[in-house]
Formats: sequence, C-alpha cells, structure tokens
Amino acid sequence: MIRPFGESALLVELGSAERAQALAASIRDNTIGGIVAVVPGAESVLVELDPWEIESERVAHALEGRLARTAELAPIGRLRRIPVIYGGEHGPDLADVAKLCGLTQAEVIERHAATELRVLFLGFAPGFAYLGGLPDELHVPRLATPRTRTPAGSVAIAGSMSGIYPADLPGGWRVIGRTSLVLFDPRGDPPAYLAPGDTVRFEPISG
Amino acid sequence: MIEVLVPGPLTSVQDAFGRPDWRHLGVPVGGAADAWSARLANRMAGNSDNDALLEITLGGLELRCETAANAALVGGMSVSVDSLPVAANAVFPARAGSVIRVDPGSGARGYLAVAGGIMVPPILGSRSTDLRSGFGGHDGRALRSGDLLEIGSSSTTPRRWTGSRPDGPIRIVPGPHATGISLDGEWTVGTEADRTGVRLDGRRLEALGEVPSMGLPLGAVQVPPDGRPIVMLADRPVTGGYPVPACVIRADVGRVAQLRPGDKVTFASVSLGEAREALASAEAELAALEAPGDENLGWTGSHE
Repeated sequence: MIRPFGESALLVELGSAERAQALAASIRDNTIGGIVAVVPGAESVLVELDPWEIESERVAHALEGRLARTAELAPIGRLRRIPVIYGGEHGPDLADVAKLCGLTQAEVIERHAATELRVLFLGFAPGFAYLGGLPDELHVPRLATPRTRTPAGSVAIAGSMSGIYPADLPGGWRVIGRTSLVLFDPRGDPPAYLAPGDTVRFEPISG
Repeated sequence: MIEVLVPGPLTSVQDAFGRPDWRHLGVPVGGAADAWSARLANRMAGNSDNDALLEITLGGLELRCETAANAALVGGMSVSVDSLPVAANAVFPARAGSVIRVDPGSGARGYLAVAGGIMVPPILGSRSTDLRSGFGGHDGRALRSGDLLEIGSSSTTPRRWTGSRPDGPIRIVPGPHATGISLDGEWTVGTEADRTGVRLDGRRLEALGEVPSMGLPLGAVQVPPDGRPIVMLADRPVTGGYPVPACVIRADVGRVAQLRPGDKVTFASVSLGEAREALASAEAELAALEAPGDENLGWTGSHE
C-alpha cells in the first residue's frame, strides 16, 4: 500500500520489518529517479521525493514494480554479539520483570540471552535500535512513570521488543542489564553499531 | 572571529539542511528550524544556502565582531549594530570591534549569517548542532558567553532582498492516516514549542491510538493520545508511532517554526498540486535578490 505523505513523500506500508528493510536496502543500492531519501520504520518505508524533478505519482508507479520483486529478497544483516551485565545496579528492573513474567531472575536472563533478536529499525535517538523477536513470556508493559534519565548502555525491554539506550535518555522501558559497548559515536564509521536487518545476541557476563 | 557576549535563551550553530542521510541509523535531520529564513540570510550575506549560521531563539543575543564582516539577519527579530538599528531582513556591514545585538520581535527565530559562514567541523555531513545528542555545531551545544566562533573567508558581494513571505493560514495536505480528522478552527501555540515540534492547544482531537512506528517527514502533524496535535520540525525523532492526519506543506514549515507560545494559528487544506506551486513560489521569493544600491545596505540611521 502506497500513500502520499505530504506533497513530497510517500509512505510504503509493507506489513513487516523484514520487507521494509529489504525495500529500503534495495532503493539505497539501486535508486529510483526522483527519490532523495528512504527511512525504514516498523512495517513501512518513508520515501522522500525531490519535489522539483518528478511527480510523486510516477515514483509510486516505479515503486510498485520494485515492491513486486522485493518480497523475494533475502534477509540482510550481520550477527552482533552484545555483552551484558544483568541485574543489580545495572538492571534495576530485573526483579520486577521476573515477578511480572512469573519467572526467576535467572530464567529471565536465560531467555533474553537465548534469543536471536533482530534490528527492526532505528529511531527515538541516534543509534537506538528496536529489537524484535522477544519471546512471549518476556512481554512486559512499559513503566507507568518513565525515568527522566536512563543511563547509556541500559539494556531494556517493553512489549515485544528489546532495546539498548545509546546515551543517557529519558525512557519508559524496563532496564534489566547494561552493556559497555558504544552504540553511537557521531565520529565513527559507521556511527551506529547496529543497523536495520542485523541479528543481535546478548551474552551474559559477570560484573 | 566572533565573540559571544550574551547568548540569549538559546542560540546554536545550524546549517540549512541538517543530516538527512543518516536517519536509518536513528540520527535526526536537524538543521535550521526555519530553513527558508536560514537560506535567505546566507544568500543575502553572499554565502551558499547550507553555510553554517546562528539560529537565535527569542532574541537576547549580543556578539562582538573581531574582524569586519558583512552580515544578514532574517526572521522575526530586530537587530542593531553599536546600538544603531538595522532594517528588518537586511544585510549590513559590521566593522571590527562592533557589537551586534539581536532583540526579540514578531517571530520565534532569527538567523544571523556572516559572510564566509561559521567554521565548525562538519559531522555526518553537516555543521548543524544536534542539541539533544550533543554533537555537531560548536562543541555540540548551545552557545555560551565567551565562545569564539571562527568565520570563513568571503569574496562575494552581499545582496539586498526584494521578495516577500506569505502570511495567512498555514497550508496543509492530507497525511497517511485518519484523513477525516479536521484541523479547522483557531489553535494556540502551547508552551511546548521547540526545535522538535510545536504543540497546539485548542479543541481536543479524537484520540486515534497508535500506529506502527514510521519515518516522519518534516511538517507531519502527529496526534498523540491526548488529542493535542504536534507539528513536527527539524529535530523531530526519525520515527513516530502516532497517527498523522495532515502534513504542513514544505513551503509553510518554516512559518510554523516562527510561531511563539501563545500565538494563534489556523490551517487551510490545499491540494498536492497547490502545495508544489507554493514551494515553487517560496523558492522564487528566495531568489529575489539584487546587488545593493547606494543606500549603503541596511542602515536605517546615519553613522560616523
């Protein structure tokens, strides 16, 4: 489904992060005339157009053609291993999460670290990756009152997703651990450790 | 070189276009909140559109020019040099040692371009300051008194502007969701108006729930669960999960960035074709520049 999003953008709704990533990657590798930027979302791609060169209806038509072939694209990405110290001062919400899930703290850690998660898209802050694929038994609601400051490196969960705070940020996700990895460095190449399509595996280490 | 004497409530180094190419890694676009005014100030000073300049929020800035330079101020502020007022939207010469003062006016943001541009290192392709993440611009932060800013060299001629900017309702086109929701009626700009977005008070729109997070273009009008619409500006997050029933047209986004808390605003729906014509017209007004005549640039008072 392709909808106009303002006079110089289109929202392409694909129904899954995997297809959205594949379409965004495909356009970045082999652009369609008139497209100036693509931004993947949870189930969609924002396609920004050069308003001077082309009418959006024409790009929409070219996109339809690309979409028909995109479903077959193989998943993209790498495996990224992330060392985490779980619980204690590094994971202040681990005990509550265990209670909410009806599990022991050790079982929460084991399930979180046993799952291969996938970077669905980045947003909220530079380097903040939304990681999908959290097992059902770890789905917990956000904090009723968000923290004004969640420390950089906090590994957190909310709903069906996990995430890592790349900087000190306000946040309502439940923090179960912490990593010392730098997730975003504006002078780095690339600046973010994670990119859409990456597979992520958390590895427990002892503090 | 320029020295910041008094920074005002919020002055930062910005360029016109920000970092549009790093959004897939979560980096917001940023850049001037009113990019049209920033480009105009640069053009008047003889710079390129995307050269770095100062974005001044609600006035209160005082600078000393250590070296002589032509400068231009665009946006809803008034400016004086050594206490002599300069005409609005004018280019003016500042001698070595002179003090430029920018005072509040009818708009939220002023753009002060100095010929040669402000020399800060580009990061991720832009000289703009990402104030929230703390990188880019001058040390990744708002300016403080005592900061020294290096100015590039310039051999271009400053130019006088003869164009205009539309007033009247802010024009909108449909967004991807709930296009039946109307923004008719008068709105008041709330106190939460910053570079990220402008929240509007008025009637409460129907709560629309959430949608899967999606990339947000400039000018998207989000409706969060409290029913108070927010027009998203330069520092908006890359993605958002609230429905977007409308988008402010590109030609008018900079006008939204000039609204101050308490200002009244109305919206008018236009077609996609009218939105593109408005953008072409805004570009034409930007190009309405000519070499300055004998009236000695923007001075309104005599001098020396």
